[in-house]
Amino acid sequence: MSVLSLKNVSHAYLGRTILDGIDLDVACGEIVALVGPSGCGKSTLAHIAAGLTEPKSGRITRTYKRHAMVFQDPALMPWATAAGNIDYGLRLAGMGRAARQEYVMAAAAQVALVPDDMEKFPIELSGGMRQRVAIARALAVKPEFIFFDEPFTALDVALRRRMQNLVMDICIDGRLSGLFITHDLYEAARVAHRIAVLDTRGNGVLGMRTMAGTPAQRSDAAIFDWVQTALEQDTAFRHIHDVDERQLA
Amino acid sequence: MSISLHAIASHLALRAGRVLQFLWSGWAGLAAICLLAAIWQAGHETYGPFILTSPLETLRVIGHLVADPKAWSIASLTLQRALTGFLLVAGTGSVIGIAAGYSPASMRLVTPLITVLMGVPPIAWIVLAMIWFGGSDATVRTVILVSALPVVFLGAARGITTRDRLLDRMAEAFGAGPIRRFLTIGLRQTTTTLFPALALALGTSFKVAVMAELLANAGGIGGALADARVNLDIAQALAWVVIAVILLIAVEYTLVQPVKSEIDRWRHAAQPWGVKR
Ligand SMILES: Nc1ncnc2c1ncn2[C@@H]1O[C@H](COP(=O)(O)OP(=O)(O)O)[C@@H](O)[C@H]1O
Ligand SMILES: [Mg+2]
Repeated sequence: MSVLSLKNVSHAYLGRTILDGIDLDVACGEIVALVGPSGCGKSTLAHIAAGLTEPKSGRITRTYKRHAMVFQDPALMPWATAAGNIDYGLRLAGMGRAARQEYVMAAAAQVALVPDDMEKFPIELSGGMRQRVAIARALAVKPEFIFFDEPFTALDVALRRRMQNLVMDICIDGRLSGLFITHDLYEAARVAHRIAVLDTRGNGVLGMRTMAGTPAQRSDAAIFDWVQTALEQDTAFRHIHDVDERQLA
Repeated sequence: MSISLHAIASHLALRAGRVLQFLWSGWAGLAAICLLAAIWQAGHETYGPFILTSPLETLRVIGHLVADPKAWSIASLTLQRALTGFLLVAGTGSVIGIAAGYSPASMRLVTPLITVLMGVPPIAWIVLAMIWFGGSDATVRTVILVSALPVVFLGAARGITTRDRLLDRMAEAFGAGPIRRFLTIGLRQTTTTLFPALALALGTSFKVAVMAELLANAGGIGGALADARVNLDIAQALAWVVIAVILLIAVEYTLVQPVKSEIDRWRHAAQPWGVKR
């Protein structure tokens, strides 16, 4: 059963076609990675799927109850403490104070934030800690679906790995589904059940590859081999590292 | 239990730190006042009591005024006018500024008007307001409104136009509609530029109130200054000037500073102890 389904979605900015004829399904409990070169329209597709942007045409079906989003920039409110930031979605949902506190604490524990961190302002936190807070903010609303839009691109390699583990831990019980956007094929191969490759010009999904086993079982060696093979032999991944700076938003 | 105790303790430490900081800035202020008094005294000794009364003599006159209930009603009239005028301009300027910040079209429409408003000297407004309202509260408030409106407007508008749009996106992703986005994200970001503008407008309100009172013969501290001029009573005039300044400082530290330190709490959080002023 799919919780998110896009049918023949297309979009244009100022008359320039960005996406055309996109079909994508995400099943319950599944993480689908969306890869493609920078500027090919991944963020636009995520915004359309999340209902933030109205597509030019196409149909979007969402059967999950609540979603949340994690951005490349943590997008934390600088004037609020970590706790206040995590609380944001709950406050918007109009939840009572006591219940909110409980949810905030639970979400913070999931991303290994300790009570001491909770009273700190974003300016006092490191990049990794800020991204943890952003993930906790997304988890706090108890979403059934999470959109990750290149969440770890700004982090260094070791930290990125830790954050990927975090995502895999969160999704391990199979109740959470997600769309994980990245342009790092290793990251996609680590966290996802399936990998969708978006065409450089946004002309549809070039290919959909199903990974063997669950993300948690996959060994680093298997991931490395898979990526090497994909880059060498799979035509869908041929333009994955193309970058056209002029196309970047 | 121990966590909440710890939280309370750290909270108290934070407040105590802020009080100390406040006292420290008071100490610096005291030093500045002493310096000013010394220069004043030097001027007094050079030019004589008819041009500049000594600081002590002025203090004595202030003492007399403090004991006089009539003086209290004069001061409170000016205080009332300055504060109501300030509230008027704060409300109007913020609303127009925020609206213009969100709507580029009205921004383009309003900006030239603001430029014109800034170009008209306050004295011209005083003349107009006197003709319209005579020597009443309305005259003083009108002059405050038009003199301080540009700065409040620009502060509010800039806060909105320079806001972090990523935060808007984030709020939208969490399901906030335009109004919730404004209340939880936009408004709070405006304070960065709106608040300094409001502090400036408050100072302007006091100065303009006294000036308008003097020229419109509308009583209050300005009226008292006019009387002092007629009587060539320099001590009286200086005493009222000092009282006006004291009123402004009192309002600044009871109204502006507490709000400002609460709003800027996160900025100070990043500074090491030694840098805090
Ligand atoms: N608001 C916008 N207005 C006009 N063009 C945009 C806008 N947002 C993105 N684009 C363009 O759409 C294309 C896809 O952008 P985006 O979805 O951010 O790509 P990606 O996330 O894959 O890097 C880019 O060429 C970008 O310049
Ligand atoms: Mg993007």
